[in-house]
Amino acid sequence: MNSAKVKVAKAKSKRVLDVLITYCILIVVAFIFFFPCLWLILASFSKSGSIYSFDGFFPAEYGFDAFKSLFTDTVMYNYPRWFLNTLFIAVMSCILGTLLTILTAYCMSRFRFKSRKAMMKATLLLGMFPSFMGTIAVYLIMTQFNLINQQWGLILIYSAQAPMGYMVQKGFFDTIPYSIDEAARIDGASNFTVFVKFILPLSKPMLVYTALTSFTWPWSDFILPKMLLIDKDLYTVAVGLMSLGETEFARFAAGSIFIAIPIIVLYFCLVKYMINGMAAGAVKE
Amino acid sequence: MANLSLKHIYKVYPNGAKAVNDFNMQIEDKEFIVFVGPSGCGKSTTLRMIAGLEPITAGELKIGDVVVNGMEPKDRDIAMVFQNYALYPHMTIFENIAFGLRMRKIPDIKRDKDGNPVLDKDGKEIPVMRKYNKQELTEKVNEAAEILGITEYLKRKPKEMSGGQRQRVALGRAIVRQPKVMLLDEPLSNLDAKLRTQMRSEIVKLHKKLQTTFIYVTHDQVEAMTMGTRIVVMKDGFVKQIDTPKNLYKYPANKFVAGFIGTPQMNFFEGTLKKVGDKVEIDFKYSDAKITVPYSRLSKTTPQYLDGTKTVYIGFRAEDVTLDEDKVAKSAAKIKVRISHSEELGTETLVYGDINMDGDGFAETSTRVIIKSAGFKEYQPDAVMEAALDIDAIHLFDEDTEESIMPRIPEYNYLDCEIKGGNISFVGVKPGLPEAVKCADGKGELLLPVSAVRFDGDIKAKVTDNENVNGQILVTLDVNGNRLYALSDKVLPVGDINIGVDYKKVTIKTDGGIVTPMPEVNGLDGTFVTDKGEKTYNLLINGVKIKAPAEVYGKMFAATTGRKVYNSKFRYEWGPYDIEVSDAGIEAEAVRTLDYGDEKFVECKVGEETLYVKCDKALSGRIYLAPDAGKVGVIESERQIKIV
Repeated sequence: MNSAKVKVAKAKSKRVLDVLITYCILIVVAFIFFFPCLWLILASFSKSGSIYSFDGFFPAEYGFDAFKSLFTDTVMYNYPRWFLNTLFIAVMSCILGTLLTILTAYCMSRFRFKSRKAMMKATLLLGMFPSFMGTIAVYLIMTQFNLINQQWGLILIYSAQAPMGYMVQKGFFDTIPYSIDEAARIDGASNFTVFVKFILPLSKPMLVYTALTSFTWPWSDFILPKMLLIDKDLYTVAVGLMSLGETEFARFAAGSIFIAIPIIVLYFCLVKYMINGMAAGAVKE
Repeated sequence: MANLSLKHIYKVYPNGAKAVNDFNMQIEDKEFIVFVGPSGCGKSTTLRMIAGLEPITAGELKIGDVVVNGMEPKDRDIAMVFQNYALYPHMTIFENIAFGLRMRKIPDIKRDKDGNPVLDKDGKEIPVMRKYNKQELTEKVNEAAEILGITEYLKRKPKEMSGGQRQRVALGRAIVRQPKVMLLDEPLSNLDAKLRTQMRSEIVKLHKKLQTTFIYVTHDQVEAMTMGTRIVVMKDGFVKQIDTPKNLYKYPANKFVAGFIGTPQMNFFEGTLKKVGDKVEIDFKYSDAKITVPYSRLSKTTPQYLDGTKTVYIGFRAEDVTLDEDKVAKSAAKIKVRISHSEELGTETLVYGDINMDGDGFAETSTRVIIKSAGFKEYQPDAVMEAALDIDAIHLFDEDTEESIMPRIPEYNYLDCEIKGGNISFVGVKPGLPEAVKCADGKGELLLPVSAVRFDGDIKAKVTDNENVNGQILVTLDVNGNRLYALSDKVLPVGDINIGVDYKKVTIKTDGGIVTPMPEVNGLDGTFVTDKGEKTYNLLINGVKIKAPAEVYGKMFAATTGRKVYNSKFRYEWGPYDIEVSDAGIEAEAVRTLDYGDEKFVECKVGEETLYVKCDKALSGRIYLAPDAGKVGVIESERQIKIV
């Protein structure tokens, strides 16, 4: 009787210790992740603006000057303009890129044609190379098409590259039983109807993921816009912020924080779709 | 509401695997056909070909009077129920059922806003196609839901329903369109045992109510036996037998069907048959068991099996073997069985034993025997008992081909004969032999195919019996006390009749020589070519082009998609009546004329091939053959597919 009590007590203390250790590790990891963010936020509230006037690691004085000048002082650095440019490019790329990705994925998932396997392997292989490897080639091609210094040039590249990541989307389409397609086809649906009325509604969670990824890349990309955009008025936020003077560090930090907001909002809006798997019950597995 | 016709249907995958081989069947309106067989036998593939979800490699599929080979599933007017239900998970039950209707248009006349007909210049109504309106949709969906008892669930989504309810929705989705043919692909295999039995009878009820052709695929022989009006048993892509449940059970055409249909499985023994007088001795292998059967029971058996040397499979169903003492005492066919164990099933007891006293009765050997006995009867393990076999229920199968050796329609009448001076004598008659089958004098055997007995001629016979075997009438004749079988397309009145022999089909084996029947088809190898300028397609045989009609080359193109029709080798076949001797065509060497009395044929050689062509003139030397391209049979040589 007594020994049993001791055993229970021991097990309890072990559980408490486990939880304690887990939380300690989590706190340390969270701090490591969060510290750069925190520092950036603090830096954006620096009054002097320049990183040289910091009091050691953190700013000496705090104020809202950086945020104010970000939106008011638009003669040299037109942040609102850059922001709208980025938004336009990202939204257009997101729409076009998602469309192309889901069409590619649908084809690869549902149709059987010659060289399908070869194409799938080729795209997978090409997708493994970092995209900036092709920058010189992209630059030359864009010059040929006269698309340098144009936002549509960027949108074209982003949308065209998006389907390289079709694999995840295809994987999701593959989990939708083919018998649903067949039932719909017998009911009289065409391939397009099957796609629009069945495949798309059933893959909402994955669509959200695909759309988000094809939005975030142009939103935060630096290399391509830096290379292709010449006019300061056409700059995206990333390129624009890089062109800021050395003494404008606070403004840089403020701009960086501000650009993160839409993505955070988007994420919070769509997270429930991503987590909620599609309702079960379509078929008996 | 339509009949189906499947002619020489093949499914060959690009890797060469044949999933379905030469499937032939006529399905009548309102039939309930069940395809049954073990996994991978091609039953689902056949169903999917009918549905249009799988392309047909070769063959012709008709629904009603329309060839539907190239048609989209939606245009075939069929409905299908899937094993996994395949409901649309994001739609309500109502929408699930209504979807098929929403996709369809119905003929109507043009109307204005108030629903009054709009007339054209001549005052006639203008026909248009329109979609179902909301009221019609609701009506139809409700009607279907009512039949299946799911009216109260119409607003739910599939995930909120149980397996049985979901299957009902799937059925509802199929029946709401009132299709010509209902296709069901193992619809019950995802349900539990009790629900399955219940749904089974509901589907049968539904079939009676809808009066539509049903095709049902299952691997469960109980489902097949209880539901089908006719059953197609398949194995490895081949149709093993097509018949009614009763006939499958009573007259299995091969060992596979015999073993597949019925639980417990039929007992198979190995043994030999020996004819002694008017009795046949059956000697069981690996055992001392021996029984005697009157020959009349085995009269359709091919004589070559009755000499006591060839091993055959002997089949008895569990209910045709009994341990009941009264029956054993009366029976003439008794065997000793060593009991090993028994399974009590309530209404009956399955007793496992062995006819080999060293056998254990567990493993599936050719001496193990399962016996059906009354319920709750106990048997001592290891006891040796006598069991009686019901010899009327015996089944015999060839050891190698596993085909039944006592088919319902025997192929030949085996008769003793003697040839003397150009006359043949058999069964007590002595007709004269036509020129073509003349052979030297001698004694021997006459193989008279049942189809070679004609009901005209001068041999006197008596009709003693008619047996309807799937539409063909097997007539039992008595000629001078000898039994003879013949085929007829109608029932003949019992009594006297005159018969004759079609000598084209007989085989005579005597010590004076052998006469073989004339082949029914002539085959020639060739290829397929096109005249580019004129857009005609030709069969090319020995350098001679024969213009192919559209239906022939259409099928050849369809069957060779992905493989060039121009690079394939074909074998072209014609009956003797479909080739004409002409002054131009395929060059041939006339060898001799075959005179069958009322008909004459010329035997000729084209290269190595020997051909027989109907021709009334006596010919010799070089002749030219003009085959009828419309009646050609085409076989693709490489894959051995009958295309036309």
